[in-house]
Amino acid sequence: MRITKYIITSPESEVLPSDIAMRIYGSQHDINVKETCFGIIINGEEDEVADLIKEIRAMDPTGIFIKDRGFPPGDLRRCRGHRGGGARPGYYMIESESKLLPLISKALASEEKADPGPKETETIQKKRPISIKKLDEIIKEEIS
Amino acid sequence: MAKVIIYPTTSLILADLVDRMGHKALVAPEAVRDRVTNPEIKSPPLNITPEEPKKGLKYAAVDVPSGIRGRMALIGPLIEEADAGIILDDPGVLTGCAGCNRTNELVRLLIKTKGIPVLDLKYPRDDTEARGFVARIKAFLEGLK
Amino acid sequence: MIRIAELACGAEYSGIQREIERAAETVGAKLVYPEVDLDDIINVEKKFGISVSSGDLNLAMARATRIVENPDLADAVIVMTCFRCAEAAIIRSEIRKYIHQNSKVPVLSYSFTERTTAETLLTRVEALVTTVKYRSLLAREKQTGITAGIDSGSTTTKSVIMRDNQVIGTGWVPTTDVIKSAEDAYNAALKASDLKADDIQAIGTTGYGRFLIGKHFNAKLTQEEITVNSKGAVFLANAQKGPATVIDIGGMDNKAIAVQDGIPGGFTMGGICAGASGRFLELTARRLGVDISELGKLALKGNYQNVAMNSYCIVFGTQSLVNSLSMGCKPEDVAMAACHSVAEQVYEQQLQEVDVKEPVVMVGGTSLVEGLPKAMEQLLGIKVIVPPYAQYIGAVGAALLVSGLLEA
Repeated sequence: MRITKYIITSPESEVLPSDIAMRIYGSQHDINVKETCFGIIINGEEDEVADLIKEIRAMDPTGIFIKDRGFPPGDLRRCRGHRGGGARPGYYMIESESKLLPLISKALASEEKADPGPKETETIQKKRPISIKKLDEIIKEEIS
Repeated sequence: MAKVIIYPTTSLILADLVDRMGHKALVAPEAVRDRVTNPEIKSPPLNITPEEPKKGLKYAAVDVPSGIRGRMALIGPLIEEADAGIILDDPGVLTGCAGCNRTNELVRLLIKTKGIPVLDLKYPRDDTEARGFVARIKAFLEGLK
Repeated sequence: MIRIAELACGAEYSGIQREIERAAETVGAKLVYPEVDLDDIINVEKKFGISVSSGDLNLAMARATRIVENPDLADAVIVMTCFRCAEAAIIRSEIRKYIHQNSKVPVLSYSFTERTTAETLLTRVEALVTTVKYRSLLAREKQTGITAGIDSGSTTTKSVIMRDNQVIGTGWVPTTDVIKSAEDAYNAALKASDLKADDIQAIGTTGYGRFLIGKHFNAKLTQEEITVNSKGAVFLANAQKGPATVIDIGGMDNKAIAVQDGIPGGFTMGGICAGASGRFLELTARRLGVDISELGKLALKGNYQNVAMNSYCIVFGTQSLVNSLSMGCKPEDVAMAACHSVAEQVYEQQLQEVDVKEPVVMVGGTSLVEGLPKAMEQLLGIKVIVPPYAQYIGAVGAALLVSGLLEA
């Protein structure tokens, strides 16, 4: 079965989508490639895609991110040129998550160095609402 | 290798981390793929067929809007297949497969009440949180048999 | 090519996106999706006034703000969301109002189920496209020459002959065979105006059977009833300038149309429940043993509050009416209760979807059942106008509009 994946590079990665595309063009894999503004879309037989992903990840082990896509690249049912402009809805989620990729990249890199870091809950100090009594005092103070 | 349902089911970050750590992320695009590239379906549907909201009746009653039932026809079977779940509690901008919050609420409920191990997370806001985020996912996945 | 911006939530996942596209293709329109940035979605509340928890609705609102900022992006808008979703119902209505108030782009609002087909959407989309395509034709305020209009409705077929801005003959028959009924109505109108078919310079057709009879009579104009009825209503009610609201409770479906300068700006069309149609009134008249033409006058003497109705349904609602009679309620109260029931259902389910502005013009055969406009007046708290020839509204609109094509 042919499958499609998005390959998205962290904005801080030194690997560019075009570098990945060139690597695939130069490889022996029978894979369709489509370059986009935020990464590339690849389409091929499942096993072949799995092998290729290993090679691609090796180009920047902590800076390249991959997810599945339902539609094959250039599918007219999704192509914005064909469909009257406007990004397909899922695009905005990718754009939104892409902004976090540098953080995740760095975390993966430090993970490789076995640096656990503190638990995230410890870093969040929640503010609690003040007591009704205190609020009452403040109101009286403010309007007196 | 465990099958892990992620929420949002279209998350790039969660899908990538689960897959790179040697497990299988169960994601909505795979369910979409089954429908839009199936050569057995004549004139492949734009996304899903009008039959899907009827199949979604398995997860939500007929008085639940059709868009929810249609989405559940995609996501419901993934939840059934899952050995574990990872849930982002503040997923930010959600569109497309995750663009309906009523569906999203039902998805989270079904994952949490299935009786599988579930990891609740928040998106990291700085390096420290990001390290905690990755470390917790790693520990969670390592703990799955 | 007319560009219709689709602002939708749930259409793809209800499996009906292809149906929306088919409806657009049929009327020669193309669906477009105004480009927005991620920040437009995140900050939608700043411009639109609210953001909600469902992202696809925020996306729809963000696209609406883009259209208002740049109306050249689309010629018309359809706002579509899932039926029975409260969050979407609120936002759908607010998007419609927002575009209506801040731009001149016509808007159609609709809630769908997985059963919605291209055919269901066709008349609505056709009307939307007409308001864009034939704006100059719709601006026409006077009938000229000798023209005929034929309205082939689901229950009755109506025809009028117009000359020099006046209705000079009418014909009205129950619809049996579509073409035969149209011929009968047309011939009756010709006879009443003392003219022959050769004297007629152009024919316009509308209603359910418009395509069939349009071909049969070689009509110069074949047009859906939303555009035509709006035009006919404001013409007959002398409300061609400024805002107006047209309510047409028909035999098979109802229309509520917000009109500005004779052109529909927003409208709804309901058509699944017989309890909100003329059929309900017919059935009540039969139960009361009076002719439908007498029901309205009877109703005016009654008080709906004396009758307990627990359903709008044509089956269960009628049962309530029959029970009331057996419990000693007066026929006039029952007649008014029936009128109130129909009016209230239209008020609750359709008038919320358009901006009701005065004058409110009620048209169609049911508007002659006097209790019905009276009941609508009570519900809206404003005067309802029933113009002369109200039952011929579609035929008048068609005759008026087709005269605009004589000079072309």
